[in-house]
Amino acid sequence: MSDRHKLNVIGTPAAKVDGLTKSTGQEIYADDIDLPKMLFGKMLGAIVPHARIVSIDTSKAAALPGVKAIITGDDMPRKYGILPVSEDEYPLETDRVRFVGDPVAAVAAVDEATAEEAVRLIEVEYEELPTAFDIDEGLAPVAEEARIHDYGPRDNVHKLVNLHFGDVEGAIERADTVHEGVYFYSGNNHLAMEEHSAVAQYGADGRLTVWSSTQTPHYVHKAMAKVLDMPASRIRIVATPNGGGFGGKSDPFPHEFCAAKLSMESGRPVKITLTREEVFYMHRGRHPVLMWLRTGHDDQGHITALDFKSFVDGGSYGSYGVASTYYTGALQTVTYKIPNYRFRGVRVFTNKPACGPKRGHGTPQPRYALEIHLDKVAEKLGLDPVRMRRSMLVDEYTMTANHMRVTSCGLDECLAKIAEAADFERVRGTLPYGKGIGVAVGSYLSGAGLPIYWNKMPHTSVDLKVDRGGGVCAKCMEIDIGQGSNSVLAMTVAEVLGLTPDDVQLVVSDTDTTPIDLGSYSSRVTFMMGNAAKEAAEKIRDMLVAAVAEKLGLNATELVLRHRRVEHHGTGEGMRFAEAVPIAEAMFGQLSSTGSYTPPRLAGPYKGSGVGPSPAYSYSAAAVLVDVDPETGIVTPERVWMAHDVGRAVNPMLVEGQVEGSVYMALGEILMEEQVFRNGLHKIPSMLEYKSPTFLEMPPVETFIVESIDGEGPFGAKEVGQGPLLPMPPAVANAVYDAVGVRIDELPITPEKVMAALADKEKGGPGRFGPGGVPEVDFGEVLAVDPVWYDQPPEDWIPTVRRGEES
Amino acid sequence: MRVHLASSLQDALAFKATEPDAWPIAGGTDAMVHWPGAHEMHERTWLDLSHLNELRTVEFRDDFVELGALATYWDVIRDARFTALPLLPQAAATVGAVQIQTRGTWAGNIANASPAADGVPALMAYDAEVVLGSRDGGERVVALADFYHGYKQLEARPEELITAVRVPLRAHDHQDFIKVGSRAAQAITKVGLAYAHSSEGWRIVANSMAPTVCRCAAVETLVAAGTAVAGPDDLADAIAEDLTPIDDIRSTGAYRLRVFGRVLYHALQPICDSFS
Repeated sequence: MSDRHKLNVIGTPAAKVDGLTKSTGQEIYADDIDLPKMLFGKMLGAIVPHARIVSIDTSKAAALPGVKAIITGDDMPRKYGILPVSEDEYPLETDRVRFVGDPVAAVAAVDEATAEEAVRLIEVEYEELPTAFDIDEGLAPVAEEARIHDYGPRDNVHKLVNLHFGDVEGAIERADTVHEGVYFYSGNNHLAMEEHSAVAQYGADGRLTVWSSTQTPHYVHKAMAKVLDMPASRIRIVATPNGGGFGGKSDPFPHEFCAAKLSMESGRPVKITLTREEVFYMHRGRHPVLMWLRTGHDDQGHITALDFKSFVDGGSYGSYGVASTYYTGALQTVTYKIPNYRFRGVRVFTNKPACGPKRGHGTPQPRYALEIHLDKVAEKLGLDPVRMRRSMLVDEYTMTANHMRVTSCGLDECLAKIAEAADFERVRGTLPYGKGIGVAVGSYLSGAGLPIYWNKMPHTSVDLKVDRGGGVCAKCMEIDIGQGSNSVLAMTVAEVLGLTPDDVQLVVSDTDTTPIDLGSYSSRVTFMMGNAAKEAAEKIRDMLVAAVAEKLGLNATELVLRHRRVEHHGTGEGMRFAEAVPIAEAMFGQLSSTGSYTPPRLAGPYKGSGVGPSPAYSYSAAAVLVDVDPETGIVTPERVWMAHDVGRAVNPMLVEGQVEGSVYMALGEILMEEQVFRNGLHKIPSMLEYKSPTFLEMPPVETFIVESIDGEGPFGAKEVGQGPLLPMPPAVANAVYDAVGVRIDELPITPEKVMAALADKEKGGPGRFGPGGVPEVDFGEVLAVDPVWYDQPPEDWIPTVRRGEES
Repeated sequence: MRVHLASSLQDALAFKATEPDAWPIAGGTDAMVHWPGAHEMHERTWLDLSHLNELRTVEFRDDFVELGALATYWDVIRDARFTALPLLPQAAATVGAVQIQTRGTWAGNIANASPAADGVPALMAYDAEVVLGSRDGGERVVALADFYHGYKQLEARPEELITAVRVPLRAHDHQDFIKVGSRAAQAITKVGLAYAHSSEGWRIVANSMAPTVCRCAAVETLVAAGTAVAGPDDLADAIAEDLTPIDDIRSTGAYRLRVFGRVLYHALQPICDSFS
């Protein structure tokens, strides 16, 4: 790359643009908002897991001094849901509750204590219904009136998927070896430090403003209009900076609607902040998934067929569940060549808090199963697990059997890096009993290829406005949930305009004042908003360059923007950015621009193909060194090596932060975190007993940034927020096996499970802890789809830019 | 809710005599944790001892140490004299985090009677005694090992308060405190062991292994008798006689039994000739 095109901001480690505000406690989170005459709201949750609501008596609560408004389901009798195919929720249930905690009424009062006292005075009569609490119970036949929902293929089955690409049976029959396994991945909560919170203000002008700790202000806006039966143009949603999201703030939530309705009823602002206990019940976290898989291999270990089944415990509502179910079968194919692939999945409703997306959304579970499975296959075939993996990786710029388009892929480099850093081949097998090393890989989307409701509009837009003083304001509905999207926006604009990130003023996450961004989910913001920001900034750049070229009589193609100047790339002749702005404004009028991004059309030719396609996939590989104490079963990860193909590191420091955060979150899921229920009641809904790691559990993490320079990502960038979580659980499980010779095929890998497996092994058993089998399920009619063969990419697919080229 | 803020020990004992149902509170590190969800606690009468500086004492006498009822974990951690009783600072350092250690009291740890208490096994391994006071009965001293009759059942009369804990100052040639929790800090014990050996013999104490923290009589006898122990399994019968761990949200009974045996074996194997 010539010096002329050198990147000055992108690729430079830099503090977050909102770092000082946050670290000095000046950031305003939703719960910090304190409006004059504001009331405090509280919701009443069901105390039974499944019941008909016979009656609700709010008279005693209404008589309590200080209570200003009370609402029940009848006040908002319109259903919503994040996915158009499963709009199955009311803000307050009207006739039936489906989990302990399901909200049925809400109160606004002058203070929190009064609101709490008031909800306890509300009397609800329930008529209990049969319950289902796990996958087996969720699959059992049930009388029509006892179904948890009145939709879905049958009983409490919410969704069935039965996809077949190629000829799995034939390939299995022809395979040199066939391997089969069963795995279980427990459900767990996001555990964001900030509990959900919303403040609503309904003004005398008939306009409603809701400030909410949400990852998806656009979808809340849409749902709010529907549920309140108000024109969307009268509603403003402002997403406040999230104190962590991880997918847990991606649905529209009851407290947001209740705060709004209570404000409309009382004429005063209303705040509802969930308690930690309520957060555990609102949940939308990781689905518990039982998995079965069977693979055929040739004598080199190469996969000739993958037959995969997932059994997904959805909890009580649809949420993102249809997508989650498809995700459990979508991305197995984007890491390894799998010419024949069958995916059968079922999601069941159960009387527990609804599950939804958590970091990796539906893909960590199958990745866990597949990567342990491959470790077992490698051992049986006497192959090195890294070499075996490297010999069957997908090619760059290819299509998978299930029609996923793969662009850049740095997975081979990732594996090479961690194998070298961990000295894997030498270390493995030479460690003493109790020490082990394991590897695994993963891949994740850089944004979903399709929006949640199908349309052809942009997924994101950025408006830029330059003022006469040389100030640049970037506007976008994106919401920073801690991942650093504000910094990415400022850095992208700054790069193109030759400024520094703190020269760029941001206005974000406001449905009234900022152009669309669909939200901080599916790792889409850097990739999509980055492209939009780049386009918008290039339009401003072009105007500035044209104006300066004319003013100074220079050739526009030889001017560059850098170091707050517009200047000749060689001689440096030019002027300061702030001087160029008025000249350009005189020539073009107000300097404003818009950039947008719409992903290319990626869905394959079959139903369900909308889940999985992404404009680009990130890749990760992890090696983990663990200590397993055979006396206590305690697993201590001692070192982690993680290589992540991020396309291009927009800000290497934030990339490392996301990798380390992913490792940390993964360790919680691997070692201790689990949603545990008894008859629908959460057994540990507090941070006292729902244990997650402290910094004492956090091992040193050595991060290797791999840059494959994706053709479609902004400056070549791809995602990093979710992908690095994926290889961790199987890498730890594989390391535990290497350490003490037992297989823990069920997360979390608790000391109790390790000790049980060791005891089993002592008695001559296989030394395994995990599920014994999977239920027989009729997955419905098979949808047979011709696979895309690797040597036959579709005619209509041409990547816009090939690797290594710069735009 | 009613709160009586005691102005002196005498006042506290007088209040307890007239209102024996009153709940003493000092550091509040247990009560406050449960407060948001435990609505019945909001109806109680509380006897707040936190202002009684006369109980905030640590006194080294000739042959024992007296911890006043308001002595905290931190008071022990920061006091170099406790190198003479190392299990106390060792156990104290595993309780919660520093914020809890500076508020939580040894007496509160005893009175709360959790089977998972970390302070109690260290005290019990040193033959600590509980000093009970009451307005009309004066002072009564009970061995900590005899203080629990069952889960949350205390050898203390309704009108009595714990006023101090006495720990004999003896020379110990072997002692240790081992905690197995679900994480390295801020965890409640799943399997706990404290042991000490002095001229008085072996004291082997378990926590989270039975309805109360308790001494393991059968194990102590086995160790004292020099019965040959070739591995953890040889301890299993004695452990089963002493301890009845349960399945709960933190672990399983099977795990606790298995791990306690291993922890105990590996603790004593280097120091007991009878352990091979």
